[in-house]
Amino acid sequence: MARKASYKSFEDLGIQNLGASANLTFSQQTFAESLKLPYPLLSDFPDRKLMRSYGVFNEKTMTAHRSFFLIDPQGIIRKKWMVENGGTTVVYSDTLLRDIREVLAKR
Amino acid sequence: MTPSRPAAMDAWPPAWLAARAGLLAFGLLIAILAGAVSADEPALAALLKTLDLRGYTSRTAPPQFSGSTLDARQLSMTEYRGTVMVLTFWASWCLECRVDMPALERLQREFSSRGLAIIGVNAQENKEAVRRYAKELGLRFPLVLDRDGKINALYGVIGLPTTFIVGRDGRAIAFAIGPRQWESAPARALIETLLAEPAPGATPR
Repeated sequence: MARKASYKSFEDLGIQNLGASANLTFSQQTFAESLKLPYPLLSDFPDRKLMRSYGVFNEKTMTAHRSFFLIDPQGIIRKKWMVENGGTTVVYSDTLLRDIREVLAKR
Repeated sequence: MTPSRPAAMDAWPPAWLAARAGLLAFGLLIAILAGAVSADEPALAALLKTLDLRGYTSRTAPPQFSGSTLDARQLSMTEYRGTVMVLTFWASWCLECRVDMPALERLQREFSSRGLAIIGVNAQENKEAVRRYAKELGLRFPLVLDRDGKINALYGVIGLPTTFIVGRDGRAIAFAIGPRQWESAPARALIETLLAEPAPGATPR
């Protein structure tokens, strides 16, 4: 996973990565261990409250649109990325990092 | 997202990344994800460590599943309550599984009369591939078919083999990503330790 490899670049910018999905915590634990993820995963199962509150949940398909949010220390969303092609396009960490640096430079 | 995509793939696109600037402590979350063996079971913890198994917290229950087996039986996990379960996820193309599977078969033959149940969950292969593999390696423990990958997704399995161990009381004990020395002395000691635990309903010692 690109994000795992470039985790330190996020850390250096003072960014805490969090992953969220509607999978069971049990399932996420296997997943995280398989990839040796250096950041926590949050389970939005079963009510999918988080996905709904971020406006990325599709009630018809019961899936979330793959997306990224940059939240500042005051809890304000500074940037969001909605992954194209129904969430199948690969988002590279370089893209996220470049955009994040841009946001941080404006502050 | 197209409905034809396998469930295992469907399950993960919803993963988001919320990036958070500033210094926030997520120590608690990390602790939950990492899991830990309760401190009153040092012997068990030592065995898990030796075998490089990741232990669960004492309250972790594995997701319940049912599925059709190679011999066309409907297998439900609830049938196995009271046994020590070894649930292994595998595929015929998985090279490392070729070592694990016969070893687990031998353990099954040795320990099944005392309450060990090995169950294999295949990763989305057809019945014929599973049948050939079982015949070639002489596997007699139940092999559950998971054509749509739902059970694999339920357990979060993305690499093979991945193996879960469940205690007699139905709680998840530990899991392993990748092959392990299942016939080694520490593995046998672990099985013996778990088999010695009381089954549900039994009078506590």
